Amino acid sequence: MILLAALAVAVVFAAGTFLLLQRDLTRVVVGVILISNSAVLFIIAAGLVRGEAPIYPLPEEGLTGAGISDPLVQAMALTALIIGFSIAALLLAIIYRVYVTHRTVDLEEISAIEMRYAEALEAEEDPEEEELPAEEQDAEPEDAAETQEGAGER
Amino acid sequence: MTGSSASQVLLVLPVGIPWVLAAVLALLDGRRRWVGFLAAAGLGASFASLVWLTVVVLREGPVGTVAGGWPEGVGISLRADALSLTFALVSVGVILVSLLYEIPLGVRWRAFPALVLLVAAGLNGLFLTGDAFNFYVFFEIAMTAAFILTGYREEDYQVRAAFLFAVVNLLGSVVFLIGIAALYTVTGSLDMQVIGERADVLEPRSVTVIAAVLFAAFCLKLGLFPFHFWLPAVYVGSHAPVAAILSGALANIGSYGLLRFGADLLPRELEFGSVAVIVLGTASIVYGALQAISRRDTSEVMAYSAIGQVGYILLALGIGGPVGYAAAVLYSVVNSLNKGVIFLSAGLRGPLVGGAFAIGAFSVAGVPPAAGFLGKIAVFQAAITEGSLPASLALVALVFVGGALSFLYSFQVYQRRFVAPQGPGKASPPTARFLVVALAALIVLMGVWPEPLVALSDAAAATLAGGSG
Repeated sequence: MILLAALAVAVVFAAGTFLLLQRDLTRVVVGVILISNSAVLFIIAAGLVRGEAPIYPLPEEGLTGAGISDPLVQAMALTALIIGFSIAALLLAIIYRVYVTHRTVDLEEISAIEMRYAEALEAEEDPEEEELPAEEQDAEPEDAAETQEGAGER
Repeated sequence: MTGSSASQVLLVLPVGIPWVLAAVLALLDGRRRWVGFLAAAGLGASFASLVWLTVVVLREGPVGTVAGGWPEGVGISLRADALSLTFALVSVGVILVSLLYEIPLGVRWRAFPALVLLVAAGLNGLFLTGDAFNFYVFFEIAMTAAFILTGYREEDYQVRAAFLFAVVNLLGSVVFLIGIAALYTVTGSLDMQVIGERADVLEPRSVTVIAAVLFAAFCLKLGLFPFHFWLPAVYVGSHAPVAAILSGALANIGSYGLLRFGADLLPRELEFGSVAVIVLGTASIVYGALQAISRRDTSEVMAYSAIGQVGYILLALGIGGPVGYAAAVLYSVVNSLNKGVIFLSAGLRGPLVGGAFAIGAFSVAGVPPAAGFLGKIAVFQAAITEGSLPASLALVALVFVGGALSFLYSFQVYQRRFVAPQGPGKASPPTARFLVVALAALIVLMGVWPEPLVALSDAAAATLAGGSG
């Protein structure tokens, strides 16, 4: 029983790791979901005891706990599942945001687009201001402009 | 263990206030100024209750309570001792300053104040909990809010940084969860005290594996050398107050976790692995400093510097004993404040900001008037107490070289950022500048009058040493 559980955890974890290393961001998210589910399996395996259901009017007299399966792991697994679920939703939302701006969720295509964008920025760069790193030049005037916009909205 | 009923209510406040307020503020428009100030007031109340709790704990010893009125050993317990309160105080302090800093600059997201409050609630929860699984739950609350905060301002690279941060740290969380489940299997309890007692009598081999798993998970959070790869991308991408929250408050999870799970619960395993811990710390210091020197962009330098700085914490932890643990606590506190000042002042321009940054840089380098000197001295002291002469000589030399390198890169950055003529642009709002200067003044004050901080970290180390015997 323990061996089976260990095998199941190992297979799910390995599959998740494989997906995590893919270029497609959707697959990465699926990988994260699989890995977090392997942890849930592990938690359940931590309390893998055969016994009566842990419901309060216990079949035998006295609260010895012997012969009763462990209820705590169920509660922990449930909590971990809910956390994993919300995290998956968050990751998918982030991916959607990436898709909206880049029109792709492939990591290589995204970095190609960003390379092109950076080159375009460098071409436009003002030769006078070479002293400052490129990022600061655009970041700060833009910040100031946006703060004003924010003030306008309010 | 249990205090009076008043102090038990007090124990719930630091977690409860920001949590409830976050739920309320999530429904309001956080871009309005008064919502931001309401959030800051909530954080201030949480901070005040932490200060009060610290006074109680230092006077009467640790305070504990069990949630929901369950008998002890059944319900989920909350517990406050000097170690958890030290970390909670500094984290909430840095978060509060970052929030106050962002309000005059103009909050850009509806949810920003609520998310900041959730980070604070999660952090306080995990510092004050006495239950290992509860630690994981609060840890996820803080982390999830932080994932979203990383994408604040929604620049493309920030969204990508948020994704990277989330994926890597989720992997760490899963590893940590597996470690907790394994601890539960071998000890049959989730209560930290019971785990600590039972792990001492268990067969060492099985516990060592679990200790290694937990160690890897916390090092990933801290961004230590072999686990650091996600850190520069995230810190460089994020907006100044967010970077300050991440490195000044959230990184404390890693150092607190290492101290709590390593020094408090599994001291035997920590001692067993102390050579590995010291080697990793050394690698982190050297790697972080060398990378920081070779970078040009301010936030990139500071990101690599963060990797180097946590190396000192690990070094002190590896040396162990009351002196080593006290040094680790002290260094974590000082490091949080340094990172707060540096990231916040790097995002500003105008008079006085350069001075605040210089103080932060002095403190990172460990130059006397600033509090960083204290941290370096504590690590020196710990290194000297280390057993054999060659080992302690090597450690002292390492700390000295690390300090010299950090001096170099701090002032390279200072020169590039503040001495070189600045491009056109108006000065930042005076409130934000005042906050940064106040934080810098606090660092100097701590350096000039170190007794309270030293006493607090000694008390924190005493709770650890007391637990392990």
